[in-house]
Amino acid sequence: MNEYRWADLALGKSARFDAVVTEDRMRQFAQLSGDVNPLHLDDEFARARGFPSRVAFGLLTSSFYSTLVGVYLPGRWALLHGLDIDFKALAFVGERLTIVGEIAHMSDAYRRIDLKASIVNSLGKTVSKATIRVGVHEP
Amino acid sequence: MDRTSVISDLNPIFQDVLDLPDLRLEPGSNAQSVEGWDSLAHVNLVVAIEKHYRIKFALGELQTLKNVGEMADLIKKKLGKQ
Repeated sequence: MNEYRWADLALGKSARFDAVVTEDRMRQFAQLSGDVNPLHLDDEFARARGFPSRVAFGLLTSSFYSTLVGVYLPGRWALLHGLDIDFKALAFVGERLTIVGEIAHMSDAYRRIDLKASIVNSLGKTVSKATIRVGVHEP
Repeated sequence: MDRTSVISDLNPIFQDVLDLPDLRLEPGSNAQSVEGWDSLAHVNLVVAIEKHYRIKFALGELQTLKNVGEMADLIKKKLGKQ
Protein backbone atom coordinates (compact mmCIF):
# COMPACT_ATOMS: atom_id res chain seq x y z
CA MET A 1 0.00 0.00 0.00
CA ASN A 2 1.31 3.46 -0.88
CA GLU A 3 1.56 6.00 1.91
CA TYR A 4 1.75 9.30 0.05
CA ARG A 5 1.51 12.36 2.21
CA TRP A 6 0.40 15.79 1.03
CA ALA A 7 3.98 16.92 0.43
CA ASP A 8 4.58 13.90 -1.85
CA LEU A 9 1.67 14.74 -4.14
CA ALA A 10 1.69 16.96 -7.22
CA LEU A 11 -0.49 17.69 -10.21
CA GLY A 12 -0.03 14.96 -12.81
CA LYS A 13 1.10 12.31 -10.34
CA SER A 14 -0.47 9.05 -11.42
CA ALA A 15 -1.00 5.42 -10.51
CA ARG A 16 -2.14 2.30 -12.35
CA PHE A 17 -2.85 -1.33 -11.60
CA ASP A 18 -4.61 -4.31 -13.17
CA ALA A 19 -7.55 -6.28 -11.81
CA VAL A 20 -9.50 -9.23 -13.18
CA VAL A 21 -13.29 -9.61 -13.01
CA THR A 22 -13.17 -13.13 -11.64
CA GLU A 23 -16.03 -15.57 -11.08
CA ASP A 24 -15.36 -15.33 -7.39
CA ARG A 25 -15.61 -11.54 -7.36
CA MET A 26 -18.90 -11.72 -9.30
CA ARG A 27 -20.34 -14.21 -6.82
CA GLN A 28 -19.18 -12.24 -3.82
CA PHE A 29 -20.48 -8.96 -5.23
CA ALA A 30 -23.94 -10.49 -5.84
CA GLN A 31 -23.95 -11.71 -2.25
CA LEU A 32 -22.68 -8.46 -0.82
CA SER A 33 -24.95 -6.13 -2.76
CA GLY A 34 -28.02 -8.31 -3.13
CA ASP A 35 -28.09 -7.52 -6.84
CA VAL A 36 -29.11 -10.88 -8.28
CA ASN A 37 -30.15 -9.64 -11.70
CA PRO A 38 -29.65 -12.57 -14.10
CA LEU A 39 -27.83 -10.38 -16.62
CA HIS A 40 -24.87 -10.71 -14.26
CA LEU A 41 -25.40 -14.28 -13.09
CA ASP A 42 -26.96 -16.29 -15.90
CA ASP A 43 -25.09 -16.73 -19.21
CA GLU A 44 -28.16 -18.03 -21.00
CA PHE A 45 -30.22 -15.01 -19.97
CA ALA A 46 -27.41 -12.66 -21.03
CA ARG A 47 -27.04 -14.32 -24.44
CA ALA A 48 -30.80 -14.23 -25.03
CA ARG A 49 -30.56 -10.49 -24.56
CA GLY A 50 -27.82 -10.22 -27.17
CA PHE A 51 -24.74 -10.09 -24.95
CA PRO A 52 -21.82 -12.48 -25.51
CA SER A 53 -21.89 -13.57 -21.86
CA ARG A 54 -22.78 -12.34 -18.39
CA VAL A 55 -22.14 -8.64 -17.92
CA ALA A 56 -19.89 -7.62 -15.05
CA PHE A 57 -21.58 -5.53 -12.36
CA GLY A 58 -20.84 -1.88 -13.11
CA LEU A 59 -20.30 -1.19 -9.45
CA LEU A 60 -17.98 -4.15 -9.10
CA THR A 61 -15.65 -2.73 -11.75
CA SER A 62 -16.12 0.71 -10.19
CA SER A 63 -15.10 -0.68 -6.83
CA PHE A 64 -11.58 -0.67 -8.25
CA TYR A 65 -11.74 3.13 -8.02
CA SER A 66 -11.89 2.58 -4.28
CA THR A 67 -8.74 0.45 -4.54
CA LEU A 68 -7.08 3.14 -6.65
CA VAL A 69 -7.64 5.70 -3.92
CA GLY A 70 -7.24 3.60 -0.81
CA VAL A 71 -4.22 1.58 -1.89
CA TYR A 72 -2.41 3.47 -4.66
CA LEU A 73 -3.08 7.21 -4.80
CA PRO A 74 -2.72 8.49 -2.18
CA GLY A 75 -3.08 5.16 -0.35
CA ARG A 76 -3.00 4.82 3.42
CA TRP A 77 -4.10 8.36 4.35
CA ALA A 78 -6.98 8.60 1.87
CA LEU A 79 -10.57 9.41 2.70
CA LEU A 80 -12.95 9.19 -0.24
CA HIS A 81 -15.09 12.35 -0.44
CA GLY A 82 -17.02 11.52 -3.58
CA LEU A 83 -16.94 10.34 -7.15
CA ASP A 84 -18.75 10.75 -10.44
CA ILE A 85 -18.68 7.80 -12.78
CA ASP A 86 -19.71 7.50 -16.42
CA PHE A 87 -19.92 4.06 -17.95
CA LYS A 88 -18.62 3.88 -21.50
CA ALA A 89 -18.63 0.16 -22.34
CA LEU A 90 -19.62 -3.15 -20.81
CA ALA A 91 -17.12 -5.38 -19.05
CA PHE A 92 -17.45 -9.16 -18.95
CA VAL A 93 -16.54 -11.92 -16.55
CA GLY A 94 -12.92 -12.98 -16.94
CA GLU A 95 -11.71 -9.65 -18.35
CA ARG A 96 -8.51 -8.06 -17.16
CA LEU A 97 -8.99 -4.35 -16.53
CA THR A 98 -6.44 -1.59 -16.09
CA ILE A 99 -7.32 1.15 -13.63
CA VAL A 100 -5.49 4.45 -13.98
CA GLY A 101 -5.74 7.72 -12.09
CA GLU A 102 -3.98 11.06 -12.21
CA ILE A 103 -4.13 14.09 -9.92
CA ALA A 104 -5.98 16.83 -11.79
CA HIS A 105 -6.59 19.31 -8.98
CA MET A 106 -5.15 20.00 -5.55
CA SER A 107 -6.71 22.15 -2.87
CA ASP A 108 -4.20 23.00 -0.14
CA ALA A 109 -6.67 24.45 2.35
CA TYR A 110 -8.29 21.13 3.22
CA ARG A 111 -5.77 18.82 1.53
CA ARG A 112 -8.15 17.56 -1.08
CA ILE A 113 -7.19 16.13 -4.45
CA ASP A 114 -9.32 15.41 -7.50
CA LEU A 115 -8.31 12.44 -9.60
CA LYS A 116 -9.21 11.92 -13.24
CA ALA A 117 -9.51 8.18 -13.50
CA SER A 118 -10.52 5.54 -15.98
CA ILE A 119 -10.87 1.81 -16.37
CA VAL A 120 -9.77 0.28 -19.66
CA ASN A 121 -10.14 -3.32 -20.83
CA SER A 122 -7.41 -5.43 -22.43
CA LEU A 123 -8.45 -4.26 -25.92
CA GLY A 124 -7.89 -0.65 -24.92
CA LYS A 125 -11.59 0.16 -24.74
CA THR A 126 -12.66 2.50 -21.96
CA VAL A 127 -15.11 0.80 -19.58
CA SER A 128 -15.69 3.87 -17.42
CA LYS A 129 -14.34 7.27 -16.54
CA ALA A 130 -14.49 8.93 -13.17
CA THR A 131 -13.72 12.07 -11.29
CA ILE A 132 -12.76 11.14 -7.74
CA ARG A 133 -12.54 13.55 -4.81
CA VAL A 134 -10.19 12.43 -2.07
CA GLY A 135 -9.08 13.95 1.21
CA VAL A 136 -5.55 13.31 2.45
CA HIS A 137 -5.87 12.87 6.19
CA GLU A 138 -2.34 12.17 7.31
CA PRO A 139 -1.54 12.31 11.02
CA MET B 1 -17.11 43.13 -8.18
CA ASP B 2 -18.84 44.10 -4.91
CA ARG B 3 -19.87 41.90 -2.01
CA THR B 4 -23.47 41.49 -3.23
CA SER B 5 -22.33 40.41 -6.71
CA VAL B 6 -19.96 37.84 -5.22
CA ILE B 7 -22.76 36.44 -3.05
CA SER B 8 -25.04 36.23 -6.12
CA ASP B 9 -22.22 34.42 -7.86
CA LEU B 10 -21.82 32.02 -4.95
CA ASN B 11 -25.52 31.21 -4.77
CA PRO B 12 -25.62 28.64 -7.62
CA ILE B 13 -22.41 27.04 -6.33
CA PHE B 14 -23.97 26.55 -2.89
CA GLN B 15 -27.24 25.37 -4.44
CA ASP B 16 -25.37 22.75 -6.45
CA VAL B 17 -22.98 21.52 -3.74
CA LEU B 18 -25.61 21.42 -0.99
CA ASP B 19 -28.33 20.21 -3.36
CA LEU B 20 -30.64 23.01 -2.24
CA PRO B 21 -32.14 24.49 -5.44
CA ASP B 22 -34.19 27.05 -3.50
CA LEU B 23 -31.33 28.30 -1.33
CA ARG B 24 -30.95 32.07 -1.20
CA LEU B 25 -27.68 33.13 0.40
CA GLU B 26 -27.46 36.24 2.52
CA PRO B 27 -24.36 37.92 3.95
CA GLY B 28 -25.13 36.38 7.34
CA SER B 29 -25.67 32.83 6.05
CA ASN B 30 -23.40 30.32 7.78
CA ALA B 31 -23.01 26.64 8.57
CA GLN B 32 -25.54 26.91 11.40
CA SER B 33 -28.24 28.57 9.31
CA VAL B 34 -27.89 26.61 6.05
CA GLU B 35 -29.17 23.04 5.97
CA GLY B 36 -26.57 20.39 5.14
CA TRP B 37 -23.54 22.66 5.47
CA ASP B 38 -21.44 20.13 7.41
CA SER B 39 -17.69 19.58 7.38
CA LEU B 40 -17.60 17.53 4.17
CA ALA B 41 -19.94 19.96 2.43
CA HIS B 42 -17.65 22.77 3.58
CA VAL B 43 -14.65 21.16 1.87
CA ASN B 44 -16.74 20.64 -1.26
CA LEU B 45 -17.83 24.29 -1.18
CA VAL B 46 -14.29 25.60 -0.76
CA VAL B 47 -12.94 23.48 -3.61
CA ALA B 48 -15.85 24.45 -5.87
CA ILE B 49 -15.23 28.15 -5.12
CA GLU B 50 -11.49 27.76 -5.77
CA LYS B 51 -12.22 26.19 -9.14
CA HIS B 52 -14.87 28.72 -10.06
CA TYR B 53 -12.67 31.76 -9.42
CA ARG B 54 -9.32 30.03 -10.09
CA ILE B 55 -8.07 31.09 -6.69
CA LYS B 56 -6.47 29.23 -3.79
CA PHE B 57 -7.33 29.57 -0.13
CA ALA B 58 -5.02 28.91 2.79
CA LEU B 59 -6.54 27.09 5.74
CA GLY B 60 -5.78 30.02 8.06
CA GLU B 61 -7.81 32.39 5.87
CA LEU B 62 -10.86 30.14 6.02
CA GLN B 63 -10.81 29.37 9.72
CA THR B 64 -11.58 32.95 10.70
CA LEU B 65 -14.57 33.39 8.39
CA LYS B 66 -17.90 33.71 10.17
CA ASN B 67 -20.35 33.80 7.29
CA VAL B 68 -20.90 34.04 3.54
CA GLY B 69 -20.42 37.82 3.60
CA GLU B 70 -16.90 37.42 4.98
CA MET B 71 -16.21 34.68 2.44
CA ALA B 72 -17.32 37.09 -0.30
CA ASP B 73 -14.97 39.76 1.07
CA LEU B 74 -12.06 37.31 1.02
CA ILE B 75 -12.85 36.30 -2.56
CA LYS B 76 -13.05 40.00 -3.56
CA LYS B 77 -9.66 40.60 -1.98
CA LYS B 78 -8.10 37.64 -3.77
CA LEU B 79 -9.57 38.60 -7.12
CA GLY B 80 -8.28 42.14 -6.65
CA LYS B 81 -4.73 40.82 -6.30
CA GLN B 82 -4.82 38.80 -9.54
